[in-house]
Amino acid sequence: MNNMALALTFSLVVIALLISYRQKLGMEKDMIIGSVRAVVQLTVVGFVLKFVFNIDNTLLTSIILILMVYNAAVVAAKRGAGIRSAKRISFGAILIGLVITLGCLLTFQAISFNPSEVIPISGMVVGNSMVALGLLYRNLISLFKDRREEVEVKLCLGAKPRESARTLIRESIRTAMIPTIDSMKTLGIVQLPGMMTGLILAGTPPEMAIKYQIMVMFMLTGAVTISGFIASFWAYRSFFNDREQLTVE
Amino acid sequence: MEIVRFDHVGLVIKETRILEDISFSTEQGDIVGIAGPSGSGKTSLLRMMNLLRSPTAGTIFYKQRDLREYFPPQLRREVGYVLQKPYLFDGTVRDNLEYPYFVWMQKPDAQEILLYLERVNLPSSILRKSKNELSGGEQQRIALVRSLLAKPKVLLLDEVTASLDEENALILEQLILGEGITRSLTIFLISHSPEQLRRMSKTILLLEHGQIRFQGPLTQFSQLRGGLNNE
Repeated sequence: MNNMALALTFSLVVIALLISYRQKLGMEKDMIIGSVRAVVQLTVVGFVLKFVFNIDNTLLTSIILILMVYNAAVVAAKRGAGIRSAKRISFGAILIGLVITLGCLLTFQAISFNPSEVIPISGMVVGNSMVALGLLYRNLISLFKDRREEVEVKLCLGAKPRESARTLIRESIRTAMIPTIDSMKTLGIVQLPGMMTGLILAGTPPEMAIKYQIMVMFMLTGAVTISGFIASFWAYRSFFNDREQLTVE
Repeated sequence: MEIVRFDHVGLVIKETRILEDISFSTEQGDIVGIAGPSGSGKTSLLRMMNLLRSPTAGTIFYKQRDLREYFPPQLRREVGYVLQKPYLFDGTVRDNLEYPYFVWMQKPDAQEILLYLERVNLPSSILRKSKNELSGGEQQRIALVRSLLAKPKVLLLDEVTASLDEENALILEQLILGEGITRSLTIFLISHSPEQLRRMSKTILLLEHGQIRFQGPLTQFSQLRGGLNNE
């Protein structure tokens, strides 16, 4: 694909802008900012990755992974406005999810620890965990508002905050996992996922691309569940004060 | 024996004064009827008593110990609270009634559950039903039984019969009074029904604009103010 062809694909964003404008969706500004950011960020990342791949240094690769996790935590935390220490919770949860899944993949020798494998794989883990945590926070916040009575009745019966919020936590984790589970169910039937498509476009035989994709889906399921589980059990505390009273009005 | 004491208690929420300078004490086994117009702070008073809220001024004592010294889940178990609108959890009636045992990691006592169901005129077959299959009266009776199964020493009742017909209200009143006597339970009862307050209360606490307007025996209150009907 030449650069002109790539530039012309921007016309699709223009169509989206026109629809947004005509339908008064109010998304034009976000679309423009999003498009510009995507181009700038990906171009920079392309150069950075080239540099990192060439150096092939464990410490540098680890720093890149930490930065990825931090950025994802910042974005996820924005969905958790009202949750105490949402950024710290997100960072911890995503990092633990990444360490466990990456650790498994390396132990099983599904991948090896070189930047060209670890960074893209981690990007997928971190990105999906970030989306999952955003969903989890939003759901947790709305559940605590809508079902505060249930929580209070349980508190009145002598339940501790964690027990009184158990069903809400469970539902939030489930909500966070739904996109990953659904995409796993429809894999190959409804969609050819990004990674597999990318590999095929780059000339990898489909049977090899499929192997990678299966690994990615299993890895994402594990990572999203681990991150969601950890984040929810840290985040629910912010709906209670130190007297174990519900703080949601 | 003094069981609950409010000592110059105040409550301010978002710069709005809800309660001011509330002082009273209650003996074990007393049934305190809390009267007063809507918005006078009755529910807030109950919520502070089982630590769903903390006062912003003054001190509340339970068994002569500052409420702040208690482990909240332990206190809430001793000071049960039943809301006006019964809230039953998803699942069956049995799940709801076994919840107090589950919370405290105890084996559910099937006999005790059946005994309470009998006292509120409900058949054992109701245990298999879900909340959607119950009438409002049945739900409120289950909610009350669920609270009693936690073995509270003090019971806070926030207009628990407000949405019930007279027959169901009387069944609930009988259970409450019976429990009060047999277990020397201290009861705080918010009600807008003068008849109910008269039938059940020994003591009256009248709140207006977040302040106590009257506290004392029911008989004295009736004489002083020409009865509860004026409130």
